[in-house]
Amino acid sequence: MAISTEKLTHILQSFVTSTTDIQGAAVVTPDGLPLAASLPGSMDEERVSAMSAAMLSLGDRIGSELARGGIDRIYVEGDKGYGILTSCGEDAVFLVLADKAAKQGLLLLEIKRTLSELKAVLM
Amino acid sequence: MEIMRLVVTGPVGAGKSTFIRSVSEIEVVDTDRRATDEALLIKKRTTVAFDFGRLQFGPDMALHLYGTPGQSRFDFMWDILIQKAHAYILLVAAHRPHEFREARRIMMFMQQRSPVPMIIGLTHTDCPNAWDAANIALALGYPNPNRRPPLVTVNANETASVAQAVIALVQHTWSGSLATT
Ligand SMILES: Nc1nc2c(ncn2[C@@H]2O[C@H](COP(=O)(O)OP(=O)(O)OP(=O)(O)O)[C@@H](O)[C@H]2O)c(=O)[nH]1
Ligand SMILES: [Mg+2]
Repeated sequence: MAISTEKLTHILQSFVTSTTDIQGAAVVTPDGLPLAASLPGSMDEERVSAMSAAMLSLGDRIGSELARGGIDRIYVEGDKGYGILTSCGEDAVFLVLADKAAKQGLLLLEIKRTLSELKAVLM
Repeated sequence: MEIMRLVVTGPVGAGKSTFIRSVSEIEVVDTDRRATDEALLIKKRTTVAFDFGRLQFGPDMALHLYGTPGQSRFDFMWDILIQKAHAYILLVAAHRPHEFREARRIMMFMQQRSPVPMIIGLTHTDCPNAWDAANIALALGYPNPNRRPPLVTVNANETASVAQAVIALVQHTWSGSLATT
């Protein structure tokens, strides 16, 4: 494959280990296949990828049909933590799983920074 | 207005999205994305969440049509969609025998989660090397023609043909799914 899985995995791993309160991250194709992942051991990469793609596609539809415009991000806030989906260019979706303790502002900043690293590799 | 929720399921490329587009009276909600998996061998785009369409059926019933994704990695969507379904149709491409097993697997997944009536719709029967209905039924685990769900032939591209299949599904549902499934 043209995309460097190794580089993507490396970026994800350093993102997950260096940012506090992050439990996992993955980059998946818009049709729900894993490109790279650094996830908690209990989570199945393929399943996580498919769910991310389904979620983002529905978010996109909600954005257009309910006139919210293009979707940058989707938040799932549970009582144990967050799941944040960010579209990462045409060909990828970035999923971040964070602890309930995570500070939202900081988290967003880190996501933004990592996103540009990922995009550079995906280009 | 009564609403009947019908699910259209089956393997990749069976024609689920096309089926719904052919009869929906509203612009279909589609979640097709560029395929990067085996679906690419058949077509460019594949459904990742669901298709949604609507069809008025007589003066006081509306049919809500939900199309599932085909790949088993999306089985959480199969589960979500079948939970609320009043009936479903399993589409099977008659000319791709290597997918019959997958079709059967999807059917068993649905049957384990929901007792609602179902019918089988054979698509691509106009294509070269299409199997005949009796042999497909056999491959799907129904050796006895008297003890199987109704089986219809449908071309997902043709509105009249899809309408026929939808009518067959609704009628089968009304008939109380006697004895069949
Ligand atoms: N010749 C022929 N083509 C058909 C028939 N039914 C469907 N097709 C074609 O088969 C293809 C089916 O594509 P989709 O409707 O996207 O299939 P799907 O089941 O939604 O696939 P996924 O969403 O990827 O699981 C389309 O190109 C249709 O035009 C049929 O009866 N005969
Ligand atoms: Mg489809």
